[in-house]
Amino acid sequence: MTAHTASPMTAAETALMDAYTQQLGDLPGDGAVLSARDTLISELKASGLPTRRVEAWHYTDLRALLRSIPAFDATAFARGVEPLVAGSAVLRVVGGHADGSNAPEGLTVTTYAQSLLSGTAAGDLAARGNDDAIGQLNGSFVRDGLEISLADDSALAQPLELQIVQGAGQSHLRFPVTFGMRSRATVIERHLSQSETGALVSSVSDLIIEDGADVTWILVQEQGAADTHLGQLNFELGADAQFRLFVINAGGKLVRQEVHGVVNGEGSDFKLRAVNLMGGESHTDLTFTLGHDVPNTTSTEIIRNVVFDRARGVFQGQIRVAQDAQKTDAKMACNTLLLSDEADFSAKPELEIFADDVQCGHGATVIDLNPTHLYYLQARGIPEKRARQMLINAFVDEVVEELEDEALVAALEGIIEGWLDSHA
Amino acid sequence: MAAVQETIDQVRLIDVDQYKYGFESAIEMDKAPKGLSEEIIRFISAKKQEPDWMLEWRLDAYKRWLTMEEPSWARVDYPKIDFNDLHYYAAPKSQSGPKSIDEVDPEILKIYEKLGIPLREQEILAGVKTSKIAVDAVFDSVSVVTTFKEELKKAGVIFMSISEAIREYPDLVRQYLGSVVPTTDNYYATLNSAVFTDGSFVFVPKGVRCPMELSTYFRINEKNTGQFERTLIIAEEGAYVSYLEGCTAPQRDENQLHAAVVELVALDDAEIKYSTVQNWYPGDKEGKGGIYNFVTKRGDCRGHRSKISWTQVETGSAITWKYPSCILRGDDSRGEFYSIAVSNGHQQIDSGTKMIHLGKNTSSRIISKGIAAGVSQNTYRGQVSAHRKATNARNFTQCDSLLIGDRCGAHTVPYIEAKNATAQFEHEATTSKISEDQLFYCLQRGIPEEAAIALIVNGFVKEVIQELPMEFAVEAQKLIGISLEGSVG
Repeated sequence: MTAHTASPMTAAETALMDAYTQQLGDLPGDGAVLSARDTLISELKASGLPTRRVEAWHYTDLRALLRSIPAFDATAFARGVEPLVAGSAVLRVVGGHADGSNAPEGLTVTTYAQSLLSGTAAGDLAARGNDDAIGQLNGSFVRDGLEISLADDSALAQPLELQIVQGAGQSHLRFPVTFGMRSRATVIERHLSQSETGALVSSVSDLIIEDGADVTWILVQEQGAADTHLGQLNFELGADAQFRLFVINAGGKLVRQEVHGVVNGEGSDFKLRAVNLMGGESHTDLTFTLGHDVPNTTSTEIIRNVVFDRARGVFQGQIRVAQDAQKTDAKMACNTLLLSDEADFSAKPELEIFADDVQCGHGATVIDLNPTHLYYLQARGIPEKRARQMLINAFVDEVVEELEDEALVAALEGIIEGWLDSHA
Repeated sequence: MAAVQETIDQVRLIDVDQYKYGFESAIEMDKAPKGLSEEIIRFISAKKQEPDWMLEWRLDAYKRWLTMEEPSWARVDYPKIDFNDLHYYAAPKSQSGPKSIDEVDPEILKIYEKLGIPLREQEILAGVKTSKIAVDAVFDSVSVVTTFKEELKKAGVIFMSISEAIREYPDLVRQYLGSVVPTTDNYYATLNSAVFTDGSFVFVPKGVRCPMELSTYFRINEKNTGQFERTLIIAEEGAYVSYLEGCTAPQRDENQLHAAVVELVALDDAEIKYSTVQNWYPGDKEGKGGIYNFVTKRGDCRGHRSKISWTQVETGSAITWKYPSCILRGDDSRGEFYSIAVSNGHQQIDSGTKMIHLGKNTSSRIISKGIAAGVSQNTYRGQVSAHRKATNARNFTQCDSLLIGDRCGAHTVPYIEAKNATAQFEHEATTSKISEDQLFYCLQRGIPEEAAIALIVNGFVKEVIQELPMEFAVEAQKLIGISLEGSVG
């Protein structure tokens, strides 16, 4: 991929390079942290923002889509809100500033700004590869976040909400989280914004789920209609561990949420459930890669997409099964309701299999609402709008209901219904 | 498996005879010097007594090719090809226009006999109308003989080598050549446009149902030759044609290059059925030698209610890079792709299809069966897209992979792109190994392991085999068995 490096920088690329020079003196961390940042920004400068020609960004031409970068604004207004599920413990990152106090029992919490200042963060900053634009961007500019660890054998009684509220401007955050052996927890990573003008948030969560841990992680992205959200969630799964990841995208103008997992402990199980609601002129990309590196592991992924208006949706999902990973059972399904002739959806579900004793499959469908279903409801006196909503709701609710916790299910259903009310 | 001496001997025997078409034919060849330049292209064009526009077309493509880069996105890995170390033209010397099959060099006929091309057989069978197949044999780069020409002519069907067609029907060729795969299409297609030496031309006029199956046999014989054939098939309104293509190449140490272009055009209500059995030399056990097969095949359902169906059985070649595609331009048109790709040894296959839905109510169906054994890599790569105006586009895709042994890889990379709410796309893919229960069942009944695997694999691919014309189906089943020999143990 050398063809496009020579092309002149776009406005957004220039703005990023300028921002780096301007912020340099004031970004937390020096020494190894600073040199890691320098490496990342020069990588980004050399390759430019990714285009269609970079396979990992085939359907999200970031170079063309990311037109401008909002200026960094330390004084922008933002205020924390009530937690999604009443009674949750809340750790807030408001306007880019993390507050690590009020941590519930069993959790060790420090702000990522501290880790950057002390230099302990230096080792985490490297990008995943040449095509990791989110890692490069985030690592160059990261200022804060939360570093959390849950002790071995401990359990969180209530869900933990990581509430990220963005005002105008930009924030770049990191959340390294370690779940100790046999620990149990439910975490809600919730991205909100109170900006009207289009904020930019990049957020990287690095989860380590140790042997025997049982973790539910719910990622709710509800940024503003003009915002850019570049998210990345990386995880490593230990032996006999259970990890359920729920992703709900219900906001943002330009959204790319990446999930990269490595299953490297035998007997572990991973589940991804995702609901992507897209409307307006937004572009939403969920990109997922999973490596099964050891024998006897299972994974299932169900992705449900609803696309309205002139929105563009993307799902890329890749399951890799290494040569040693015999007896892997991996299944992925991506179902899309395409509800407008001006919308589009592209899916690339990949299987890359190097072991023979496996059961792997994927399915993908793109379809409109079934007219006979609509007719059935209308024949019973339900107005068309309501009937459509009911059918769409049923389509995504199936996924949400798998979260057995009633309060959690109700909260997520509330988000979905609220979104559908304003779009359907 | 317990390794009894008998088994070891048997396996060794199989290895020796693994590529049964690997013999060389000592026929005098007329070759162009190695390398690629404007002179070579002029030489090829002059040799073929082509009109000026054809030469211009070639030179234009060549200039374009010089500015292009070899694509690198496919999951295939091979040393860089030196395009100047190849002969771009090789013709059997005794090729001074055989009028009938009796005039063909008996040496060549002997090769065909070894290959099992039923040239003679077809003459004997001439009375039996239904099983008649007209054959156009391409030997290295030159079409040697086309059978049944007269009879086809009576039906109004033109079936001849493309070189002849350029001379005899220049207007027809000029109208359609490059209209499906333009000279600018991709690296290998552009190269082909510059240097193609022969291939087949089929024209089925309005309302004619071609009275017999048409067939081409490609064979790469000479050392260091690239084979660049170009096939153009046109079915006018309401016409029907079924076309078969079979390929073999002798065993050689070096890698040989093959970059073909096939263009199909179906007008209103026309139907083209294109079947391929590809069994080129896959290289030896260490992965040395074998054919590099970089092929661009595309069908254009230009007319309303037209239909194009691709069926392929790919068992040969060291590297296969091939995506027979359909552009569903006409309303209510239909595209089909049925594929069996078997890789063993060090073979690498990156193959699949593209279904581009442009017209209203278009439908497509993709059934792909990949079988990987040895240390081979087998990738399905396919694209299905519905454009804004493709109301009610429908696609069903099923790609299944079977893994034999734990050192091979099977990969699935589909691209699904819907830009129309009325589109209905369904895609499913599975990867697994041969069921131990099924294998046990066969072994228990005294079927040897290798035969049992061939049996199970043939069951796995049955859906595709059924799409092949009967004569080919039998051959294809045997071929799959042969390709998987030595994969057990």
